[in-house]
Amino acid sequence: MCASHKGAMMQNERDRLELLEKAKQLVANIENNDDAATGEVLSSITLERERSLFREVGQLTRQLHDNLASFALDSQLNDITDKGIPDAKERLNYVIKMTDEAANKTLNAIDEILPVTDEMQQKSERLSKNWHKFLGRELSLDEFKIMSAEITSYLDESCRNTKFVHDKANDIVLAQSFQDLTGQIIKKVITLVQDVENSLVDLIRIAGTPQPKVAESKAQEKGQLDGPLVPGIDVQGAVNSQDEVDDLLSSLGF
Amino acid sequence: MKILVVDDFSTMRRIVENLLRELGFTNLDEADDGQTAWPKLKSGHYDFLVTDWNMPGMTGIDLLKMVRSNPETAAMPVLLVTAESKREQIIEAAQAGVNGYIIKPFTAATLKEKIDKIFARSAG
Repeated sequence: MCASHKGAMMQNERDRLELLEKAKQLVANIENNDDAATGEVLSSITLERERSLFREVGQLTRQLHDNLASFALDSQLNDITDKGIPDAKERLNYVIKMTDEAANKTLNAIDEILPVTDEMQQKSERLSKNWHKFLGRELSLDEFKIMSAEITSYLDESCRNTKFVHDKANDIVLAQSFQDLTGQIIKKVITLVQDVENSLVDLIRIAGTPQPKVAESKAQEKGQLDGPLVPGIDVQGAVNSQDEVDDLLSSLGF
Repeated sequence: MKILVVDDFSTMRRIVENLLRELGFTNLDEADDGQTAWPKLKSGHYDFLVTDWNMPGMTGIDLLKMVRSNPETAAMPVLLVTAESKREQIIEAAQAGVNGYIIKPFTAATLKEKIDKIFARSAG
């Protein structure tokens, strides 16, 4: 048995004995026809009752106040609403911006690379054809002279273009650094969401009203779209691959 | 062949357009949702529409329904390229008259396969 419980029991026992003493006195006073003393004992009993009621209400009020105060101190709910959530919005917008920039940088680099590689491929094919003709002794002296000039300019261009493609490939590599940065930002936002969840659970606990459990599969609003599938999050009725889409469509006569 | 590519993300439009160019389609135009796409489709004599589903303004499925309900555009082949992957949505798109349905992320080979299939069918 804990000390406080033991103390409360002793207090109750004292109160009981005190009340018994007063009751005996009350009976004696009534038997003795002592109205004044009877009234005194009665009002002292009433006063005692009122006092204990006030003590009870006082204790409850203090407890409620302490709980709310400690919740305000413990919980980060204020910080979260004042700063955390606006910050998170900024951070997530920044993630969209960074991924957009990275995708565009990569696509730009490829847009610049492709015409260069296409041109080199066409020139290589022409030279290769002429070179095989030369090896088969099918090339005239004039044609050979033209091919020699083409080879010279091709080699110069090749040096320049491979360097160009190399530099653009490096740009593409650098553009991938968004993954690290957005990863860190998203992790911070996940922590914030976790904090909000914990604070809300605390708030519900203090409010003390058990909430009816939300039905697990809440009917979806009409027209609401799920967006990309995320591994680990089950979407009822979703297909998992392009093959399943094709199967479904062919079962519908497509 | 004149093709309209509709997606609210510019990078996805670029990716689809790059892939289409690789496949030999060079007459390309773009719009960022159904609302901006529809006036173009009505007046622009397009031969093929490639559209996303989830877009602000007007969604791809609503755009598809408009295309089918208008006599000038009703016969235009429409390919949906979308992250929406619920069976009921695929069925809805089929019922609305879509010609192909690709879920994102997709590969160049998938895009080629679906386009080949659409045009083999419309040619035959």
